[in-house]
Amino acid sequence: MQHFNTIIIGAGNGGLSCATRLATKGKKVLVLERHNIPGGCGTSFRRGRFEFEVALHQLNGMNTVDNPGPLRKLFREYGIEDQIEWIEIESLFKVNLPNGFEQSLPASRKEAEDVLIKRFPEEKESILRYFDTVFKFSEESEKFAEMQANSTGEPSVFKKFIMKNLFAKKFPTLAKYAVCSTQEVMDEFFKSKELQLCVNAYWCFMGMPPSRFPFSILARCTALYINDKPYYLRGGSQMMSQALADTIRKHNGTVKYNCGAKEILVKNGRAYGVIDDNGEEYSCDYVVSGISPIDTYFKLIKKDEVPKSAKEYLSPYTVGISALTCFIGLDCTPQEIGYTDSFNLTYTSLNCNDDFQNSYNLMPDIDPLINTCYTVDDPKVSPEGTSVITAGTLKYARSWMELSPEEYYETKYKAGQIILNRLEEKYPRIKEHIEEFEVATPLTHMRYLHHPEGAIYGFEQDLKSSVFFFPQEDQIQNLTFANGWVNICGFGPNYLYGAKVADKIIKLMEAYNG
Amino acid sequence: MANIKETLISTFPHGKEVLQEIVDKRKSGTDYTLENGKVDKIINRLHNNNLRLVVNEIIEINNNTKSFRFTSEDVLLPVFQAGQYLNVFVEIDGVRTSRPYSISSSPRQRAYYEITVARIPNGFVSSYFLDKVKVGDKFEANGPAGVFCYNPVFHKRKQVYIAGGSGITPFLSMSREVLSANLDREIHLIYGCRNEENILFRDELEKMAQNNDNFKFTVVLSEQSENWNGLTGFVDGNCIKSLISDINECTYYICGPQVMNDFVVEELKNLNVKHSMIRREMFGSRQDIYNEIGWPQELSGEEVVIVTVNGDKKIPAKSGESLLTALERSGVRVNVCCRSGECSLCRVQLVGGKVFMPRGVMLRHADEVFGYIHSCKAYPISDLEIVL
Repeated sequence: MQHFNTIIIGAGNGGLSCATRLATKGKKVLVLERHNIPGGCGTSFRRGRFEFEVALHQLNGMNTVDNPGPLRKLFREYGIEDQIEWIEIESLFKVNLPNGFEQSLPASRKEAEDVLIKRFPEEKESILRYFDTVFKFSEESEKFAEMQANSTGEPSVFKKFIMKNLFAKKFPTLAKYAVCSTQEVMDEFFKSKELQLCVNAYWCFMGMPPSRFPFSILARCTALYINDKPYYLRGGSQMMSQALADTIRKHNGTVKYNCGAKEILVKNGRAYGVIDDNGEEYSCDYVVSGISPIDTYFKLIKKDEVPKSAKEYLSPYTVGISALTCFIGLDCTPQEIGYTDSFNLTYTSLNCNDDFQNSYNLMPDIDPLINTCYTVDDPKVSPEGTSVITAGTLKYARSWMELSPEEYYETKYKAGQIILNRLEEKYPRIKEHIEEFEVATPLTHMRYLHHPEGAIYGFEQDLKSSVFFFPQEDQIQNLTFANGWVNICGFGPNYLYGAKVADKIIKLMEAYNG
Repeated sequence: MANIKETLISTFPHGKEVLQEIVDKRKSGTDYTLENGKVDKIINRLHNNNLRLVVNEIIEINNNTKSFRFTSEDVLLPVFQAGQYLNVFVEIDGVRTSRPYSISSSPRQRAYYEITVARIPNGFVSSYFLDKVKVGDKFEANGPAGVFCYNPVFHKRKQVYIAGGSGITPFLSMSREVLSANLDREIHLIYGCRNEENILFRDELEKMAQNNDNFKFTVVLSEQSENWNGLTGFVDGNCIKSLISDINECTYYICGPQVMNDFVVEELKNLNVKHSMIRREMFGSRQDIYNEIGWPQELSGEEVVIVTVNGDKKIPAKSGESLLTALERSGVRVNVCCRSGECSLCRVQLVGGKVFMPRGVMLRHADEVFGYIHSCKAYPISDLEIVL
């Protein structure tokens, strides 16, 4: 039987990064991927002349070559930085409100403050105070994270007492806003609903409406995207996925496609091997799961080896939202129909929280519409004279799962038509330029990701389930996770988290061998 | 005492509430042990990688063509869109291979899927189907798959189907659906055949045209014949212009041999039909690959090369046959679906050597940068080294 230091299940962002770090540090790894291509969410597909990105919007943590952010540093370490053409994005997003209100937010703190003050002069003080709070919050949480990383284990009762009393002095902004919802903070700072929507657009990156979206994530997103600038890349996320997978192979790691894991072997509460889809058995020291904890515990492990604690531990978490997305190839440039920014968010009313509730229903008629066109930032992401657009809404899968299969295609195209009609209002004549139009429903995400309810962000990332409360505690020895189910979702965070998991494993190996 | 995290959080505004919520949720939360198998159950109603089919009926269409009706061994057959195909696996003389076949039955009934197989000279699989397969035989398949379908979001309600030879099959499904479900679409089916004997489903199609105002059927024979009163020649611009009055108000769907397919696309472009209104079905690997544009002149297609798989296994391959075929001949298991360069399931890493790639291979940007190929449409023109 072949033995590996670590077997990684699923070549998603977390798993790939974890395997790359381990392989580059000389560990023997096996990556099992059921799909024919690496990436998980980080992939693309072709239709006609177009290649459509399925998941990546803005990459966080890159920054410039001379002043690299954490993600660029990681890619540099992996040796893949130079294999990819990175594209810096100028604006964070553009918000479109009813009655023709449009506002884009530049990816610079000063400029962002200026455009907002110009638009909302009566709230000048609040705008400045808000950005100040966002950046302070971000700095404090970084400092606190550093402190935590250096601490070992649970502090003494005495130390706890001191920390409890000093924390708010040392980290005042963090202490104040750490478990506040975005909406609460919006209402604290801003009177204008329009203004609120101009600064909180990143709620949609985590699939939680402002009323449930942790302000801590919004603050971090805003500060990091401004500091490190949002990035895109030519060829989309598949480039990173492939670069990582090839790096693993280059360092003598094994990557198997079209071959998932059938079983994780566990004995006496300890994982010791994996059986793949072809029935081949491998032994290993560690298993890293890149798939959902739900499938990991309740599908891949024999029932009597699953500890009771796993069921209890996951029970407070709710499987999160999926998406309904139209992939559109146009036979004209973005400018011809009025695209100025790559990332656009369009609201049907000023009450985003109410509109979001429609994500539990089938049709996307009033849901906030997310629509991107990266051809704006890089004309080469699609053939000359064309544009590539993704437009859609977040959607829970439930109502789609309840459809009879006979209704599926008709419903899917109807939903696509609604999204297109909404685009036509904003970009007149877009309909005349359609060359390809593909609709992905929550069931499409379910098919390709194999996630319960087609979840694209893992568990719901609300106040009680994210930031401080990610389900990161392992229930079985030598079996851990590296993916968006146990961590903040998104590309950058999961590449970084995967590397962190790898470091933890390396440390454990050293401790064991030493 | 609570752990440090909880201790600190309890001092934050809302901290205690959130901590209490978690405690409560733990009691009334979700039992995820019940989730097992749900995803497959839902997805298999739309697409199934492991369809187990049984031949229920075989219908002789002409001397060299038969329709096969498959029923499912276990579950209800998945839904599909008219125009989609099934990839059917066969094992012939110890070689496991597969072929994608358009489903010719209407998607409005799923008691069976019907496919139609026409004999191809030297066709490994078509001869097997026509000469060997009998009622009761079992097959594995994946699908339905494919994007050669009506897209109501932007396709026109007036549609022109242009078929060549056995390329009629997806149009049968499309036409049968539109007429049986009384859909609001107008169809003109233009069917290019060599001679009268080669017109498949002639009776059915003529009846459909007689009984439905929204369905027109025109046959164009390429061979002259005394008894034939209909159109002759090729389905070219003039022919299309003479049959279709409002050329720019239609969406065109083309399915047939590659040469005909390429020809019709050019003719439509010359008629100023928008690129987006020309939808073409992908085609499999052609047997005469040496006639494909860009084929290296010095090669005959008969050259034998060696392919090293995963660093150890060495297998022979012929330059005129796809890499996928060589792999299948040698018993190397590769995932596969469309066999037309489109779906990417048969993607492999090319580490060394050269392949010839015909038109229509839909690589991703990352494939081009990192050297991945679709083995179904890559021809080994030197010794190769590949990794699966």
